Amino acid sequence: MLRRLRYWMNHARRGEALREEMELHLAERAAELEAAGMAPERARAEARRRFGNAQLKHEESREIWMTRFWSELSQDLRYGFRAMVANKGFSALAVLLLALGIGANTAIFSFMDSILLRSLPVADPERLVVLDWRSRPPQNASGQWNHVIHGLQGVLWPGDKGNLESGMFPYPAFETLRENNPVFSTLFGYFNGMKHNLSVHLGEGGGGQATSASTEYVTGDYFRGLEVMPAAGRLIDSEDDRRGAPAVAVISFAASQSRFGTPANAIGRSILVDNVPFTVIGVAPPEFFGIDPAAAPDLYLPLHANVLIDGARAAAMYPNGNFYWMEMMGRLRPGVTMAEAQAALAPRFGRWVAGTATTAGERANLPALALNPGSAGLGSLRRRYSKPLYVLLTMVALILTIACANIANLLLARAAARRREMAVRISLGAGRFRVVRQLLTESLMLASLGGACGILFAVWSMRWLTVLLSNGQENFTLHAELNWTVLGVTAGLSVLCGLLFGLAPAMQSTRPDVLPALQNGRWGGPRRRAQQVLVVAQIAISFLILVAAGLFVRTLDNLHSVQLGYAREDILLFSLNARQAGHRAPEISTFYMDLRRRLESIPGVSSASFSQSSIINAGHAGGAYRGAIKVGATTVLGASVMDAGPRFLTTMRIPILAGREIDEHDLPGSTPVAVISERMARTYFRNQNPVGQRITLVDDNRDLQIVGVSGNLRFGGLKGEEKSPITVFTAASQFPPDRVTYALRTAGDPLSFVKSAQEVVREADQGLPVMNVITQAAEIDRTISQEVTFAKLCTGFALLALLIACVGLYGTMSYNVTRQSGEIGVRMALGAQRGAVVWMVLRRVLALGAMGLAISVPAALIGTRLVRSFLFGTRPNDPATLAVAALILLSAAVAAGYGPARRASRIDPLAALRQD
Amino acid sequence: MGRKAQKNDSLPGSLDMLILRTLSLRALHGYGIVQHIQQTSGDELLVEEGSLYPALQRLELNGWIEGEWGVTSNHRRARIYRITAAGRRQLAVETQKYARLTLAIARVMGAE
Repeated sequence: MLRRLRYWMNHARRGEALREEMELHLAERAAELEAAGMAPERARAEARRRFGNAQLKHEESREIWMTRFWSELSQDLRYGFRAMVANKGFSALAVLLLALGIGANTAIFSFMDSILLRSLPVADPERLVVLDWRSRPPQNASGQWNHVIHGLQGVLWPGDKGNLESGMFPYPAFETLRENNPVFSTLFGYFNGMKHNLSVHLGEGGGGQATSASTEYVTGDYFRGLEVMPAAGRLIDSEDDRRGAPAVAVISFAASQSRFGTPANAIGRSILVDNVPFTVIGVAPPEFFGIDPAAAPDLYLPLHANVLIDGARAAAMYPNGNFYWMEMMGRLRPGVTMAEAQAALAPRFGRWVAGTATTAGERANLPALALNPGSAGLGSLRRRYSKPLYVLLTMVALILTIACANIANLLLARAAARRREMAVRISLGAGRFRVVRQLLTESLMLASLGGACGILFAVWSMRWLTVLLSNGQENFTLHAELNWTVLGVTAGLSVLCGLLFGLAPAMQSTRPDVLPALQNGRWGGPRRRAQQVLVVAQIAISFLILVAAGLFVRTLDNLHSVQLGYAREDILLFSLNARQAGHRAPEISTFYMDLRRRLESIPGVSSASFSQSSIINAGHAGGAYRGAIKVGATTVLGASVMDAGPRFLTTMRIPILAGREIDEHDLPGSTPVAVISERMARTYFRNQNPVGQRITLVDDNRDLQIVGVSGNLRFGGLKGEEKSPITVFTAASQFPPDRVTYALRTAGDPLSFVKSAQEVVREADQGLPVMNVITQAAEIDRTISQEVTFAKLCTGFALLALLIACVGLYGTMSYNVTRQSGEIGVRMALGAQRGAVVWMVLRRVLALGAMGLAISVPAALIGTRLVRSFLFGTRPNDPATLAVAALILLSAAVAAGYGPARRASRIDPLAALRQD
Repeated sequence: MGRKAQKNDSLPGSLDMLILRTLSLRALHGYGIVQHIQQTSGDELLVEEGSLYPALQRLELNGWIEGEWGVTSNHRRARIYRITAAGRRQLAVETQKYARLTLAIARVMGAE
């Protein structure tokens, strides 16, 4: 085989050599004829005549190598096919196992590909660089904020060594870095404008049906820097991005289709963004989704357009060097590396940021510029999903390993049956390589078939995973797909599996010690050991997956049993942002109050209310008060404050322990009121009635009178550390938020009230889009979607792994029983009881199981630490989980071993002895 | 599924066997092999000379002979073939087969 391979590789040179040999032959023959007295011309002709058709012979020679290769291959394939058909049960099982294993790997990998590996659909994405900064945490040891960042709009995320990282910068930093930049051909900025109210402008003062559109504000160089070409019209340029420029917008390809039918149709049209008119000048190309794979903006506006929409608040952000709010990306000049750019820009940023520090404390902890590769866009999705995906990938890789081990095991057993066949072949002169190749061809055929079925399975499971991961999220942008990278990995994986499970059995069954096999056809030794090693490995891996599944199920269980303190069922939630539809204080609070009354009058709605956000999302939604609260002379830190409408406690079924809840009589003009939680009442008003007392929201300078005490409730996410945090409800009418979430308490399925609720909102204001329609239960589950996904997937994985391992165990034990039937027969003839025989087999099963556990318990103790951050209410090495997993595993093993054990006990001693 | 050499039974008293026999005496280049066969057969066996080369490829592929670049007696570059151990075994097998075959033919023809 190697020789042939060599020939294959230099067959061109080989052909040349052959030609030279033939030339030499003709020349020598001609020379000899000439020497015998023939004329030179005739001698050459005669030589050629005797030689025959040289070209034909040349081709014939080459074909000998080629055709042999192909004929052997087709021989192997035919033979492999026959072998597969002859063992239908085995083949079907192997293909099924592989399809599940390879399919699961393909599905997970396609997600990794779309999240972690894929580049932005722009020109030369590898030359894009994201600008971030890192610094030590802004709070000093006593918890006081001491940092040049005085305000932030955007996200911070934890970096390594306790650092804080972010991609947010003040506008003056952008200007400083942009000026005479030696390393970037363009430096551009942007910030996520979140949702805005978008409608098509229909004429003076009116818009069409409004919808909520995600918006990206971009600097003039954004599209030029990304080197994106418009699908229609033109894109935003530097002229558009300055104060006082005409209000223009670029819309996404999808938005142009849904609003205007075609991209060309959108150009020049007027749209209303939060009631401010903009002219559509261009449409982004269809594949373009901005620079954050987690968000696909419908609308791109010039950076300075935020002044038109947000007014003075936005205008104040531009000159402020201590307010961090915009992000930056640069395109490297040709030949400049990221490290060089970092070296060039970090000092410049350092000097600038030092100038914004006002105190010694601020100067001691300045942010430092850090460049990151930007080819795949911003990292929010990567930060969120990469770890879960790596965990899942490990799991499916383990499953595939078990599947391969199992098939190898089955092949080993089958190789026993074919050992004689192989021995005969080898003794008849077949090369060992030839036989191994034949066996490997069979394995690879199985693997390819498994891979092909795996792709089908992957397509199905990707769809399912998308549903699972998105979990009802609006405009979920993560779309995994089968592309050539993914298919290539799948093909490679299939071949690898084929080699993996095929090679060992092939080598085993063609071992050179042919004679013993020919003589008796039976042997134990190495093959049996190999089989046992494979079974132990399967058991060990299954245990790992079982433990993981156990931990995730317990986590989910713990999350589900968290005491909420408020109703989970029969509540419909949806959000509105009346400010974006043009409502302003004080009218906005009347509007919200009025709408609440109308919603409450829907038949079947027993009560309706609204608050700043849903309770489960409290603290994540913007605008919540986070400052200190004063109770008399005592300062309360870390309390949660939520603006709520009338009858909120009733709607949410939060018990009122004293006084009253916020109601219709709490109006903008009346005394500002608050309802505090039981915990706060007990902690700060130990021996007195809190009702009638006053508290102060220090930062907002709001004096509130306590009118009631509510039961404790779980505020914010389920994983919050505080079981019963200190909460304060304030009257939304007195301090109206821009955006509110309505809650409707319904009789029966909340979703059946969606239509009537939307109708009521449209009657109130048809320019006000209804957002995030969801039931309270689903809203809560959405916050634990990752845990739900993990628990579901891992339980599935664990069952699969257990099943595969049991099949392996069953196969091994069955084989052993058959092999030992003689010995068992002797034992029974000598008076061994059936029970003793069963026990003899089961003892071996338990020994294998124990061996598997001995390996995997330490592995589990170490491995589960890696998933610590995914757990809630349980420790990584939770002894109960480990014990239950071990118990399940051993029971499954005994169940798998019982069949063969029973068969062993039914062996007829006479028949068994005669057989030998 | 043994090593079934291809088309080596096109001639009874096959060319392959003759080549192996020739090379078992000494290493030779292609032309030398033809010369040797013709001379030792007393010019009775007239091989189509070109057929030698596919046969050589076949034998080399089967690992029975090995070719190496060398120099002929009249100082020209040529591939010199020598027989391998496997080749000698094969020669023994073929010789035996041939002996049986000729014996059988001889019996049929009534020579014995």
